[in-house]
Amino acid sequence: MKEYNIVITGVGGQGVLTAANILGWAALHAGYKVRLGEVHGMSQRFGSVISYVRFGEDVYGSMVPEGKANVMLSFEPVEALRYVNYLKEGGMVVVNTKPIVPVQVSMGMAKYPSLEEIRKVFEEEFKAKWIGFNAEELAEQAGHVVTTNTVLIGALTQIPEFPLDAEHVREVIKISVPPKAVDMNMKAFDLGIKATKEILGL
Amino acid sequence: MAKVSDIVLWDKPGERVLLLGNQAIARGALEANIAVYAAYPGTPSSELTDTMAIVSKKAGVYMEYSTNEKVAFETALAAAWSGLRAMTAMKHVGLNVAADTFMSAVGMGVEGGFVIMVADDPSMWSSQNEQDTRVYAKFANVPVLEPTSPHEAKEMTKYAFELSEKFKHFVILRTTTRTSHARGDVVLGELPEEIKERKRKFGKFNKDPSRFVDVPANAIKFHPAILEKIEKIREELNNCPFNWIEGKEDAKIGIITPGLNYAYVKEALAWLGIEDVKILKLGTPFPVPYGLLEKFFEGLERVLIVEELEPVVEEQVKTWGFDKKLNIEIKGKELVPRIYEMTTRRAVTAIAKFLGLETPINFEELDKKYEKVKPLLPPRPPSLCPACPHRNSFYAIKKATRAKAIYPSDIGCYTLGLLPPLKTVDTTVAMGASIGIGHGLSIAQNGSLSEEQQGPEKQVVVATIGDSTFYHTGLPALANAIYNRSNVLIVVLDNLVTAMTGDQPNPSTGQTPHGMGKRIPIEDVAKAMGADFVAVVDPYDIKTTYETVKKALEVEGVSVIVSRQVCALHRIGQMRRRGEKWPIYYVNEDKCTGCRICINAYGCPAIYWDEEKKQARVEPTMCWGCGGCAQVCPFGAFEPMKEGEQ
Repeated sequence: MKEYNIVITGVGGQGVLTAANILGWAALHAGYKVRLGEVHGMSQRFGSVISYVRFGEDVYGSMVPEGKANVMLSFEPVEALRYVNYLKEGGMVVVNTKPIVPVQVSMGMAKYPSLEEIRKVFEEEFKAKWIGFNAEELAEQAGHVVTTNTVLIGALTQIPEFPLDAEHVREVIKISVPPKAVDMNMKAFDLGIKATKEILGL
Repeated sequence: MAKVSDIVLWDKPGERVLLLGNQAIARGALEANIAVYAAYPGTPSSELTDTMAIVSKKAGVYMEYSTNEKVAFETALAAAWSGLRAMTAMKHVGLNVAADTFMSAVGMGVEGGFVIMVADDPSMWSSQNEQDTRVYAKFANVPVLEPTSPHEAKEMTKYAFELSEKFKHFVILRTTTRTSHARGDVVLGELPEEIKERKRKFGKFNKDPSRFVDVPANAIKFHPAILEKIEKIREELNNCPFNWIEGKEDAKIGIITPGLNYAYVKEALAWLGIEDVKILKLGTPFPVPYGLLEKFFEGLERVLIVEELEPVVEEQVKTWGFDKKLNIEIKGKELVPRIYEMTTRRAVTAIAKFLGLETPINFEELDKKYEKVKPLLPPRPPSLCPACPHRNSFYAIKKATRAKAIYPSDIGCYTLGLLPPLKTVDTTVAMGASIGIGHGLSIAQNGSLSEEQQGPEKQVVVATIGDSTFYHTGLPALANAIYNRSNVLIVVLDNLVTAMTGDQPNPSTGQTPHGMGKRIPIEDVAKAMGADFVAVVDPYDIKTTYETVKKALEVEGVSVIVSRQVCALHRIGQMRRRGEKWPIYYVNEDKCTGCRICINAYGCPAIYWDEEKKQARVEPTMCWGCGGCAQVCPFGAFEPMKEGEQ
């Protein structure tokens, strides 16, 4: 495989960087050359964030160019939409449908689009495949809302032609989280897998 | 996924690991047997310093968080003068702070290897300007090494120490956000015995006033010596392992590309499917080695220089080519933007244009499609965290001044007080500038108390500055304001940590990576300097904070209020690790009148508007329990949930 590109989007503080790091290590263990791109500092404070995960035999820069992402993993619907131009035609988006409303919207300075509007852009304008579910709810089922990113990573491993083995990714998560949180995260991971399988009819 | 602190210290040569560019540089410094490291944190350089803080004790390296870049530079420089390998790191604007020492001391050279890591931030992801450190390097005649990947960053760090020692000259290791904050596969090298045995290395300073005392009589000899040195280094860099020529030997088209740009060029060429090209990959954008240029230009008819920001390489190549009377077309900034960061898209577009080809994706069409998406997108700028004590300080300041003051502020998380609804940041320039600008604003509108004439109407000036920034460059400005008797209120937003760059300690907490240093309370400094009013408040108590601001405003002269409450992000992180809980607030629907004060004046990101019920609501996963909302709401609608309700 020459290259595989993932963009991860969300709101600062949601665990976007952690998710990228886990996927990066899984790709490294699978023997690929790896590049991750991320933004630190001020942008992390509840602002819009995007991280890049690239692996394969032939990767150089840490940023995925527009129109080149095989898949997008998004922690928040509007933050998926903000970076829709990174997806390649026929790409796939796995999105947590639970919105985080920006202060500007609460103040009445801007409007938050409906989930249907967002989905329409992906499917109609950008010809992407949409896998959306409330990952936060599943994370709560698993034990705590902090496992939302584990739910989403689990979901990601089930999309067609995803090059990393789910069990492989699971092992990285196991050694990345605090020991007492392992069971909860494994449950979250499985719930993510289940949700995607149901949506894809697998 | 082992802990980074372990990986950086792993005695496993040949092991392939995933490291952040900055962490890879820390490993490189250890592999180079570094003895002393001193820095002030600044994004995107901070993780290098943080990594050194974590590993230094176990590696026998002296490490300090200095109070600013200039003193960090001096600490490391003196160690290098004493024959030790030493390093300092900073962001691009940090070099401006250190520039006074940097520009003067370069002529004195060093004994042990001295590496200055400077992280530039093209596109200004977390910075107040876009500045190209390579221009500084050229100005000072200091060689620059610029890596293209995390692994190369590690290797280059070792080489930088060797180069510095060989020529007894400063060396700059320059990264950008995309190398410092990129993770990539890194192959670990050997660690020296002294590092493995955690043996602290001590140096010896040999006095030589003709070298180390920069009086004109000595300095006059420095400049020609520097110029001689840099030309020798230019020669040496012909054999630098990070400079090479690759691609088709008899190609007519050439591309010169320094640092990380090389990665984008390689990707762009693969994407375009172009192989008939020769590449000069430059790890040393300054000085460009002429011997290598000579070899590269052989047989070429056209050359494109792909570099980010300033045409540093381009100017050297064009000047060299002009002197050589080369009849070869050289293009650079005509096709490659001079502003913002390089991307593969930019590289592919420039190369396609240079070769008269189409880009592999029709970017214009993609942009047009995206234009239709933009109106749907609500803005989401970064914001002060839930429970951030700064929000309360700003809220109290604004209320006490009835939004009628001028509010100079500074560099840190609190710069976000600029955004609505708080809007209590009117100026931000550089570290420590809030006090200097505040003083100047008061002098301009009101005059000094020591002058005979005063301004016609008293303009209230309230400056805000963080604890770390206060110690960074706020101190001389405070002394200046007190001495020259302006009328300004300075509120030090003391959250007991350098929050924005990742929770580094500073004199306000007194902690150091080695344990406890000595704590310097800000109020003691203000009192000792002779401020006319000094008070300490807890911004979680909004009423008292408000009343104290009111009181301070009645005092003529310089007032200092220390608004002290620990950073919420820091506190919550620690509570989470300890498994502790915090109160979560909710809106009592019977009491909320929908007045929106909590949203339109206070603006906590955990509070949102329920469109159906026309009431405020709290997002429980985002509430960090400060209770500020309960103090701000005139109707008492915010209440903490009872245990078990969460």
